[in-house]
Amino acid sequence: MSDAPTIFQRRILIGAGLCVVAFALVGLRLVHVTLLSTWDNGRAATAIAARADLTDRNGELLARDLPVKDLYARPAVFWDKAEAARGLSEATGASEARLLRAFNTAKSPYVLVSRQITPDAEARAMALGLPGLEFERGAKRYYPDGRTTAQVLGVTDPDGGGVSGLELGLQDELRKVPGGKVATSIDMRVQFIVADEMAKSREKFRAVAAGAVVMDVTSGEVLAMVSLPDFDPNLRRLNRGDSQRNIMAQDVYELGSIFKIFTFAMGLEDRTFRPDDVLTIPRGYKIGKHEIGEAHVMPGSMSAWDILAQSSNIGTSQIALRSGGQRQSQFLRSLGLLTPLVTELPEKAYPLYPKRQWGAIETVTVGYGHGISVSPLSFTAALATVVNGGRRIIPTFERQENGADRRGEQVIREETSIKMREMLRYVATNGTGHNADTPGYAVGGKTGTAEVPGPNGRYIKNALRSSFAAVFPMHAPRYAVLVLMDQPKATKDTFGFATAGHTAAPQAGRIIQRIAPLLGVPNIPVPTKLAAVPAP
Amino acid sequence: MVRVLNFFCVALMGLSILALYHVSEKTRVAHLTLSKVERDIAQEKSHLSVLETEWQHVAAPARIQKLAVSRLGMDDSASVQLSSFDLLPRRSSEPAPLNNTPLLNASAQVPAAAAPVPPTSDSGM
Repeated sequence: MSDAPTIFQRRILIGAGLCVVAFALVGLRLVHVTLLSTWDNGRAATAIAARADLTDRNGELLARDLPVKDLYARPAVFWDKAEAARGLSEATGASEARLLRAFNTAKSPYVLVSRQITPDAEARAMALGLPGLEFERGAKRYYPDGRTTAQVLGVTDPDGGGVSGLELGLQDELRKVPGGKVATSIDMRVQFIVADEMAKSREKFRAVAAGAVVMDVTSGEVLAMVSLPDFDPNLRRLNRGDSQRNIMAQDVYELGSIFKIFTFAMGLEDRTFRPDDVLTIPRGYKIGKHEIGEAHVMPGSMSAWDILAQSSNIGTSQIALRSGGQRQSQFLRSLGLLTPLVTELPEKAYPLYPKRQWGAIETVTVGYGHGISVSPLSFTAALATVVNGGRRIIPTFERQENGADRRGEQVIREETSIKMREMLRYVATNGTGHNADTPGYAVGGKTGTAEVPGPNGRYIKNALRSSFAAVFPMHAPRYAVLVLMDQPKATKDTFGFATAGHTAAPQAGRIIQRIAPLLGVPNIPVPTKLAAVPAP
Repeated sequence: MVRVLNFFCVALMGLSILALYHVSEKTRVAHLTLSKVERDIAQEKSHLSVLETEWQHVAAPARIQKLAVSRLGMDDSASVQLSSFDLLPRRSSEPAPLNNTPLLNASAQVPAAAAPVPPTSDSGM
């Protein structure tokens, strides 16, 4: 009998060897997985931004989601809940009492300590050495320009949902491309200049509120919209004197004499007068039991040019009455002034106007901007319609292609529009708007000073609302500017007057002077000493 | 012969198993590296996003204006532009103006608004 293994024994040995090798491999892999591998494996990179960036029309950043962390705690693993609450309160600024109460009564295993903590706070919390702290990555909306764009951009809630302004209005687009870009029509340079000028004028005239809009009259793009008082969108709370209300889009006002623009446009459209016609201006103008007066002394007769330039209520009343109430109502509706304006902004204002009766007295008062309240944004759109060749403009806050023409249906004839430009230019050169005239930019416009109604429906004594509606350059209009000041106070510089010609008009002029070169508006050279050619 | 062939097949199978394991391991490691690189990219993007926002904050017009006034003594004086920027001649495209040649494009300082004249009545409506 041989000692050599049989064939079966050899096969068993080979099989056993293979098993040993296989188990050795499994063992090696186990050692590798459990001891040598790091825990940091396989997790895909997660996107931080939940919303797209908001940019201005030139690509400047207006709002962006920044990475932050929310801190959660598991109170069950704390040795001393009171000490943990105190430490976390000091580290994050959260209320100690709230934390302690939550730690003691928490129904879920996790308690939210603080949302959107900064890296500093995170480091302080980590330094406490507490077990059971968990950081959840999130995003916080940040607005680099702070107050300057607060009212128009609006804010988001802590969960990243839009609450107001374009953050709410453009919500769908912002959520469609997280981390992408959504371009607005706002021009940050113009927005800053307007905000700067309005803040200065509000302070100077101690106005309750102030605001301004700059709009492209052909594309309807809103380049700037400022509403004061404003707020800091990065703080997530309102300080004393702050307001989230966008007075230019959300509120309606009796805008006073700037409404005469539409009365004159209606008269020219209906051919009820010609600019050279001379009208008699009596001392008082009786409509039934009401008597219309003037704000200051007017000559006994005036041409239509001067009626608009000097802002005669009586002259304007006569022009309004020639068209009549029904036509006036239809004309204002065709300009979009009697319906709420629909734009990307969620803030909407419902106009107030005579609904039961639109008789003679209503026609007259509406003719000079009383008895009808519209939002300043609606007004600016209607003004753009009047001067852009007479085609309807719906404002937009989304960037359009350069040179975009969004003009809609023809509301007034082109010749009426051209004539209105001439008349508005005349107001700036020879009338109450002369303080808005800016050398080289052919500004045209109209002043408006309205009395402010009180809570009992009567007008408040000595409380005025001043506005100036400007367009430039008047020979080929490109931009409309509306400046509004609520209850400005007279100063020494204004010789004791708080009317629009002394308050809003100079501000409009200052704004145009600063923004026109930036917007590339061609300048009409004015004779200066530098330009003069020396005689040979 | 059959025995040799069997041994060869078993050896080939063993080698294949080892090779497969090696490739699988390499793939896993590559996948880990990829994940790490992707995370690093995301991290850098996040830092970049913060930096861009910080840049936007420090370069905000309000801040620049404040610095220009306080540090450089610049003033917000009213100036009138006599020509659009687009119309200014390009550098070296034209010879420098000779003496007594009138300047075609220049700026001039003018008052912010016309000098105020006390009104005789409330003419600012």
